[in-house]
Amino acid sequence: MSDRKVRIAQLSCGAEYSGVQKEIYEAAESVGAEVFFPDIALADVERAVKKFGLDVKSADLKLMIARALALVEGKVEADGVFIGTCFRCAEAAIVRNELRRYIPEHSKLSVVSYSFTERTTAGTLLTRMEALTTIARRRALLAREEQTGITMGIDSGSSTTKAVVMKDNVIVGTGWHPTTEVIKSAESAVADALAMAGLAREDIQAIGTTGYGRFLIGKHFGAQLIQEELTVNSKGAVYLAGHQRGSATVIDIGGMDNKAISVIDGIPGTFTMGGICAGASGRFLEMTAKRLGVDITELGPLAMKGIGKNVPMNSYCIVFGTQSLVNALAAGSSPEDVAAAACHSVAEQVFEQQLQEVDIKEPVIMVGGTSLIEGLVYAMGQLLQTEIVVPHHSQYIGAVGSALLASGFIKGE
Amino acid sequence: MAKVFIYPATSLILSDLVARFGHKPLGAALGIRERIQTAGVDSPPLQITPEDPKRGLKYAAVEVPSGVRGRMAIYGPLIEEADAAIIVTEADLAFGCMGCARTDELILFSLRQSGIPILELEYPRDEEEGIRFVAAVKKFLDGLPKEESNKEGEA
Amino acid sequence: MAEYTPKYVGTVTKYVFVESPTMTPGELALRAYEASEGVLIKETCFGLQVTGEPEAVDRLIEEIRSFDPTHIFVKDRGFPPGDPRRCRANLGGARPGYLGHEREFRILRYITRGLEELGRGEVREEEPASPARRKRSLLDIKRLQELIDTEEP
Repeated sequence: MSDRKVRIAQLSCGAEYSGVQKEIYEAAESVGAEVFFPDIALADVERAVKKFGLDVKSADLKLMIARALALVEGKVEADGVFIGTCFRCAEAAIVRNELRRYIPEHSKLSVVSYSFTERTTAGTLLTRMEALTTIARRRALLAREEQTGITMGIDSGSSTTKAVVMKDNVIVGTGWHPTTEVIKSAESAVADALAMAGLAREDIQAIGTTGYGRFLIGKHFGAQLIQEELTVNSKGAVYLAGHQRGSATVIDIGGMDNKAISVIDGIPGTFTMGGICAGASGRFLEMTAKRLGVDITELGPLAMKGIGKNVPMNSYCIVFGTQSLVNALAAGSSPEDVAAAACHSVAEQVFEQQLQEVDIKEPVIMVGGTSLIEGLVYAMGQLLQTEIVVPHHSQYIGAVGSALLASGFIKGE
Repeated sequence: MAKVFIYPATSLILSDLVARFGHKPLGAALGIRERIQTAGVDSPPLQITPEDPKRGLKYAAVEVPSGVRGRMAIYGPLIEEADAAIIVTEADLAFGCMGCARTDELILFSLRQSGIPILELEYPRDEEEGIRFVAAVKKFLDGLPKEESNKEGEA
Repeated sequence: MAEYTPKYVGTVTKYVFVESPTMTPGELALRAYEASEGVLIKETCFGLQVTGEPEAVDRLIEEIRSFDPTHIFVKDRGFPPGDPRRCRANLGGARPGYLGHEREFRILRYITRGLEELGRGEVREEEPASPARRKRSLLDIKRLQELIDTEEP
């Protein structure tokens, strides 16, 4: 790992004119990266547009295409690529989608794509930029396929905090607590994991943290690795699923945001994160479970007995969608059907709004707490027309990924 | 001296000819310059200020992409200020300030709606067309009032 | 967040492009320096950037144009010269506007030709004001009939 700044090539249309260029710079800077614009000449633009074959009208989109080709052809070097265009622009969305598909297919570059509005902030872009820099900076670390020694991983998520202790490539202890106070919840999860493993804090040779609270708990526990959840989760997912080589797709519907990651040899190629709508998150299912008066763990089996289509839903929204469910119950729908409809609603929104942004390659691996809700996994499988893989310990994905990668930090390793 | 909106607003050729023949070219640089030279509580503007996409709501509705609104915050006031316009159609390789085709369509529409005299032409492709291009621009500009325009833009 | 205090307030910056068989950007700069009178001059690969009080810049531009009226072209610039926000060294590549200049630079010679013609006063009055692209003429109906006839088996 070097201290050299990671160079992220920016391919964008409208960033300056949306007033968000400064936010892009800031996000990159905060993760030790710098953003640059691949240098090309007018003749390159004309040649590239012809070669790529996408006849767009906007000149800045042509520029994006030309810059992308310069990267793919190796005329300009970069460590990662950020593709951004204005939200709601159809012309730009087509270019953005085609380029984020084209670049990883024709190069080793990782790509993150985003559609911004004038409200997009550096904070929103941070995790994405961090993942891009991690992939560039820690390729060797991410190549790790086995856990060695005794390590611990802690995933401080928005809803729950998970801890895992691993020893010689086996999970020997787990802990799980709702996130209330970040450090306290982590302490509890860690204590449980250690107790189950029959080990003490001193036995742990390296610690990795991830999730929203990663910086805070990383500092608290003196972690060797503090890493965003995009790379950690994809690593954990292919590790647990026993599919470390080749391509795979990882879907993690979290408490607050969702990740869809197209993985190649355990390293994210393209990925998206959604976080605007609670209706596309685990929260929606929690609300539904509460309405039905069942525990969240019972929602999945319940949904498997129902038929979602029997319940009309007018909206994906956590407010209006839930209202539809309540109305359906009042009109005599069965709790089974309502549970199935809720699962379908979340899956469908993730499918429509996020999975279009990554190339779905089999196996599709679902991880995170929501992957235990079998109704949701079933609904997603139906939408994707594939058998979804849910590996063991899938709810501990971030913690497992962190523990696995942390073993790269054991002294003498 | 008339204020002549030039399209593409980044055009060297049009900016030069309008000034050369005694009028004031209204192009992107003027809008950018105004922002760059205005002190603010925020960090330095990159072409526009973060507030501009909101100001652009005057020219395009909220469902129009932010980049269009941000650009219109530059061009809208210039179009309002213009006494005349020269438009080069097929200006498909104008980047940056002019790099968004949707904004460009809206600019052209706004100009045509405004009722000001407009000259529309195409880039010359040979010397013969160059001669006609320059002559047409000169003739158009000669027909505009020589005195200072008092039309105020809402910058 | 740091307050933004702009530099060069009240100034204008203009690009001067030279596309001439007899004058290089270097020579242009040399002659411009002599006439500059306090206006900031920055040499570029295509010509110059001049920055200063509007009246002083206008005076200098008039002088510069006179060096070679049909081969020197001038345009406003929003940013002052060397601004880090636009500088190629900071952006990693040319700002988009540069490519736009490249586009027009290719056809400057036609404009030069037009200006020369104007200078000679040889532009005929009957020239159409708007040089609309020459339209492809419609196929004559008789010619069409001939074509159809030749296609007969």
